[in-house]
Amino acid sequence: MLRRLGFGQTYLLLFIVLLIALVASAAIGAFSFTPAKMLQFVGEAFGATPHVAADELGRNVFFRLRLPRVLVAGLTGAVLGVSGTLMQGLFRNPIVEPGLVGTSAGAALGAAIVFVFGDSTALAFATPLGSLAVPVAAFAVSFAATMIVYRLSTAFGKVNVFTLLLAGIAINALCAAGTGFLSYVARDPQARNITFWNLGTFTTADWRGVELIGFFFVVSFLWSLRYGKSLNALMLGESEAASLGVNPDRLILQLIVVNTIMVAVATAMVGVIAFVGLVIPHVLRMTKSSDYNFLLPASALFGAITMEVVDIAARIIIPPAELPIGIITAVIGAPVFLWILLRQTRGGSVGFYG
Amino acid sequence: MAEVEHATYRVGDTVILDDVSVNFVPGAFNVILGPNGAGKSTLLAIATGLLRPTSGQVRYGDRLVGEYSATALARKRAVLSQRVDLAFPLDVEDVVLMGRYPHYGRTPSKRDRDIVTRALELVGMTARRRQRYTTLSGGEQQKVQLARVLAQIWNYDEPREPRFLFLDEPTTSLDIHYQLHLLDVARGILDYDCTVIAILHDITMALQYGDVFFLMEDGRVVHEAHDAADVPAELVERVFRVRASRVADPADGQPLWRFSL
Repeated sequence: MLRRLGFGQTYLLLFIVLLIALVASAAIGAFSFTPAKMLQFVGEAFGATPHVAADELGRNVFFRLRLPRVLVAGLTGAVLGVSGTLMQGLFRNPIVEPGLVGTSAGAALGAAIVFVFGDSTALAFATPLGSLAVPVAAFAVSFAATMIVYRLSTAFGKVNVFTLLLAGIAINALCAAGTGFLSYVARDPQARNITFWNLGTFTTADWRGVELIGFFFVVSFLWSLRYGKSLNALMLGESEAASLGVNPDRLILQLIVVNTIMVAVATAMVGVIAFVGLVIPHVLRMTKSSDYNFLLPASALFGAITMEVVDIAARIIIPPAELPIGIITAVIGAPVFLWILLRQTRGGSVGFYG
Repeated sequence: MAEVEHATYRVGDTVILDDVSVNFVPGAFNVILGPNGAGKSTLLAIATGLLRPTSGQVRYGDRLVGEYSATALARKRAVLSQRVDLAFPLDVEDVVLMGRYPHYGRTPSKRDRDIVTRALELVGMTARRRQRYTTLSGGEQQKVQLARVLAQIWNYDEPREPRFLFLDEPTTSLDIHYQLHLLDVARGILDYDCTVIAILHDITMALQYGDVFFLMEDGRVVHEAHDAADVPAELVERVFRVRASRVADPADGQPLWRFSL
């Protein structure tokens, strides 16, 4: 059925579902809100409806906790969806996602470095950079990690699945070792933060997170839309893409930069959330199209929807406690990953989706 | 016309291409022949502008290849190689449309779509245009790739401007029907101000389809022939390290080659 819709109609459909998911995610939780109540709060905020003093607690929960959390979750989902699409295009392989190729783990390590040393004089640069220190450090380490994995896995011109997996494992292990070491030497509150945040969490979401992730997502996303054609051409291989006027070296560098910017910022804010970037493009390809001109916008919308649903689940599975997001995404994503990997190795990496 | 001037290509101390100068004949089917390791693919890659020679230069008409932007170059020449696998399933039509990428920005024009349709017609894949590329047989996939490179350089209605189609062993791994079909279509494009420059392994087929022949050995062009009859059997024997005999086809008198060790 989806195959029949035009791209525009598909975006519209996804957008409507996203709106529903946003409202649901804002409504459900330890403190639940009726749509009417939420409408009233928003109305008050814009001065459209009169202020009701009795709702002070609910209003605080809604504006200080719930709303930023919903927005951070949606933006993070969009980031991971687009990132998965970009990385799968770059590596020409559907098993790739930011968690696999070192982007997330590198970002986590970079952020952890600032968390632990940021207040001391050890990292002098952290001070002038102010609140951007965490994203900047996350970006630097994340970029290096992704670049190394890409170079290793394409050592012989073609992307080799096994070198890709092995290089990813090695770089991820190295970054995890760094993060682990840091949480070991860190003082207690920092260490707990690092551990928690290795599994991804939206509990700490605030408006600053919305602004930061939102800004870098919008910039990176608009920038990435330019690469639809180039990513399609890259499906043919690097030399074929080159003969179509694409400069593969420049493209690869730009893709890794644009991807790392948004993933690093999101990871620095909410931690490592694996497998979302893997599943989103995969589902879109199976139900609709592998055209990157379609996948880029669609994966942003679908990523946001998925993350809202996962976040709702995280809040209601073991109330009043919350599950870390990464646990849920791993439980859903890991089997999908194995299934794709099996099909790929069995089919000799050709003729994948049939 | 396409000219390679004094091209040398070295990797470390190994000379892969040794001061080669070639004038590809415009509007003709140029064939590069030679054994494995003679430097054919390197010469072709340099001629396409995708590989920069250690020294020497390539000229299309009166402009150096380096003076073209990547996009302008992609409108000037197309390259078809042996086999292209897609990791992701695209419709046949979308693969052919890639050939038009250098010609449009965000959305293809009606003319781009039109060229895709004609290219698909020319290779006989119109009925499969909505099918997924990954479900096609190897021979059909190569037809689609041929349509893609045709769409890239094929300006059936524009003021005449010379264009180049490079074929890098395009028939390897195809059965005889697809081989003949591909070379027929490639010959057909000569009528549209295109020059074809091909590396072919099958000598008999190369002599049957080609107009001009460049015989390579050890990184050099050792012989140039402007007629299939002018390709000397002794040289072919030496270069390919085989014994060759030429007989006339009883049907039409065309030369047929037989090879043995």
